[in-house]
Amino acid sequence: MYLKLSYEIRDKYLRKDMLPTIFCPGCGIGSVLQYTLRAIDELGWSKDEVVWVSGIGCSSRVPGFVDFDGLHTTHGRALAFATGIKMARPDLKVIAFMGDGDTAAIGGNHFIHAIRRNLDVTVILINNFTYGMTGGQVAPTTLKGLRGTTAPYGQFENPFDIAELAVAAGANYVARWTVFNYLQGINSIKKALQKKGFSLVEFLSPCPISFGRRNRMKTAPELIKWYNKITVPISKAKKMSPEELEGKIIIGEFVDRDRPSLDEEYEEYKKRAKKIMGWEG
Amino acid sequence: MRYPFPVGKSDFIQGDEAIARAAILAGCRFYAGYPITPASEIFEAMALYMPLVDGVSVQMEDELASIAAIIGASWVGVKAMTATSGPGFSLMMENLGYAIMTETPIVVVNVQRGGPSTGQPTLPAQGDVMQAIWGTHGDHSLIVLTPATVQEAFDMTIRAFNLAEKYRTPVVLLSDAEVGHMRERVNIPNPEDIELVYRKLPANEEEAKYPFGDIHGDLIPPMPIFGKGYRTYVTGLTHDEKGRPKTVDAEIHQKLIERIVNKIEKNKKDIIDYETFELDDAEVAIISYGIVARSAIRAVKMLRSEGIKAGLLKLNVVWPFDFEMIEKIAEQVHAIYVPEMNLGQVYHLVKEGANGKARVELIPKIGGEVHTPQEIVKAVKRCEKCI
Amino acid sequence: MQVRFAGIGGQGVVLAGVILGEAAAIEGLNVVQTQDYSSASRGGHSIADVIISKEPIYDLIVTKADVLVALAQLGYNTTKDSLKEDGLLIVDTDLVKPDREFIGAPFTRIAEETTGLALTVNMVALGYLVAKTGIVKKESVEEAIRRRVPKGTEDINLKAFRAGYEEGLK
Repeated sequence: MYLKLSYEIRDKYLRKDMLPTIFCPGCGIGSVLQYTLRAIDELGWSKDEVVWVSGIGCSSRVPGFVDFDGLHTTHGRALAFATGIKMARPDLKVIAFMGDGDTAAIGGNHFIHAIRRNLDVTVILINNFTYGMTGGQVAPTTLKGLRGTTAPYGQFENPFDIAELAVAAGANYVARWTVFNYLQGINSIKKALQKKGFSLVEFLSPCPISFGRRNRMKTAPELIKWYNKITVPISKAKKMSPEELEGKIIIGEFVDRDRPSLDEEYEEYKKRAKKIMGWEG
Repeated sequence: MRYPFPVGKSDFIQGDEAIARAAILAGCRFYAGYPITPASEIFEAMALYMPLVDGVSVQMEDELASIAAIIGASWVGVKAMTATSGPGFSLMMENLGYAIMTETPIVVVNVQRGGPSTGQPTLPAQGDVMQAIWGTHGDHSLIVLTPATVQEAFDMTIRAFNLAEKYRTPVVLLSDAEVGHMRERVNIPNPEDIELVYRKLPANEEEAKYPFGDIHGDLIPPMPIFGKGYRTYVTGLTHDEKGRPKTVDAEIHQKLIERIVNKIEKNKKDIIDYETFELDDAEVAIISYGIVARSAIRAVKMLRSEGIKAGLLKLNVVWPFDFEMIEKIAEQVHAIYVPEMNLGQVYHLVKEGANGKARVELIPKIGGEVHTPQEIVKAVKRCEKCI
Repeated sequence: MQVRFAGIGGQGVVLAGVILGEAAAIEGLNVVQTQDYSSASRGGHSIADVIISKEPIYDLIVTKADVLVALAQLGYNTTKDSLKEDGLLIVDTDLVKPDREFIGAPFTRIAEETTGLALTVNMVALGYLVAKTGIVKKESVEEAIRRRVPKGTEDINLKAFRAGYEEGLK
């Protein structure tokens, strides 16, 4: 794969007057943003046909830095706003850039319903096991035993596996990578963007300042080494026993199918309505 | 264009149905909602009509999502509406504030029912007025309309859309279970005769750079909707005229919020709408709105026939509020009565407006039964005696 | 003119009110129609109010009914005080035992005999009401019935209405 120089991507897609970003040194969000922009660039999409939506959190600040139409909404609600955008203008492409707390906690309900409806949106999910912007509280994704400011003695609740949730709810394409898997990440995002229906690409992303520091991994390299230790590619995981998989996170592509998307179903619905009411022609 | 209901003639329909038809005639082509008594009929009518007029009607997972979806649809240029009642309205407060902060035109219908909490799902009340005006956090302003008849529910829905588009603001149509479910004859005009307003779009690329700036001097920025190549950034964070988040700049915040509030305040004369009945020579005034105003009109006639010079001010818009007009009335009469189906909401606005120049009495009634004209007459006469 | 229909859930009281209202609207009169019922879909009381006038109507509910049509004892008991002193009381003579002057006929029995469905009692009562009071024209009600009843049931409802109307002319 030929990779353009990153400052070419930067010059083409970022809003200069919004830089520098708010992201900390070692944060993984910038990398994931770069993968997303590279994917868009390789697909040759025009800036005028894409709308970015986000909720609240560090990840959700991303639409403010990119030169596209962007809706920075309320905490957890990005997919609800996205439903309105996509259904009113099905020709536009919608990218939702969200964090784990935003998606799985307050946004949980909107998340599963957007998937149930198979809304044609691509969700780029930054999972850093914490609420980074507000200072490091635990999130529904924080693994048991790990520390956050609201569980200073180690998380005592069970975590969500967001990718599995998405698969079970009916998403068309679900993949999870670490921020270190850049080739797979870019390719997954390309696949997700082109896929009609709900697609999710989750990235395990380092948050050294709010999360890492409280869990004895103060730097991004330490966090990335840790990800490599606890993650298992799905092809390998299939051959492992439940005991062996204890404490591990599976990465790879989980599902790739083509159920009809919400706007396609609604087109059929309109045709049906007109037929039933004798309004054809 | 073809409509799924008769136009250009009258029909015998419920208030909820009238609101749905008016929305379609006003150009609404996106509806998102959640079932709730007594507003479900609005949703069901929209669900029937929307696919036929190439619009979208979708049931969201809750009211938070409903108002979020219509804001999204508005930003891609489609007129959008949702309808709910008390419990759903409380859930919508967060995103109502978002719509105000981002100056997004939407129409939110609240068919009021007995509250608080689950309350009396099938009975009318006027308990959400203060919530409609102040419910969302922070300093803000918006427009709140109050219909009293099915015809007004129809006409005010069209007006709600026009005001939302003109002022780039959410507009709340504060109906109630009585108006929502009663049937009256409504005149539905010919679509060609209905005047419709669409939001100001940027005239050129330069204007599109200032989606939140007062570049025309009328406090209303042009709206560079999505999908047109404007690359607009919209956020609920405090932002400058270009939409860039600037959360720690006191001057920018002040400028933004004051403009958003003044957008409504300074245009009061255009927005406020009211009617008067025999108020010119009145010595006693009744100030009423919504369903109660109907009984109040009859009460004025009854009082006059007993020799009491009563007059009525019927508010069709409860926010923005014309405090000066209330003061003028207070200078003319010696007592003002405010009958409401709550324990005192518009009463406080009237009291403030009267500025001590007349006695202001509340005639509260809760429980789901509308004031009868006789009850209003009795209350007025009872207090006239205790001067 | 304030007309109140009272019965129990399942008798079609509200539909009768809506049809009477629609008939008045067809004639260009001003109409307000409201309803009140208990939460039980079958068995609780059911009340429908119709106010008809040439002038604009400000009232909402019937406070002093000119006509009360009672189809069940429970409905009558709940609403009897709202009828004017010199108002007209119409009852289903089989089901309601009023404590004042009244006119009426065994509407439910007539419904069963004419259409086989006790469910059409509301149409019979409506026909009787229109014949006795002439508030609206027979043709307006028939048009309203065609518009408002479920598709496929127009004939059966019209039949019941006419039977009640004939009874009222006697």
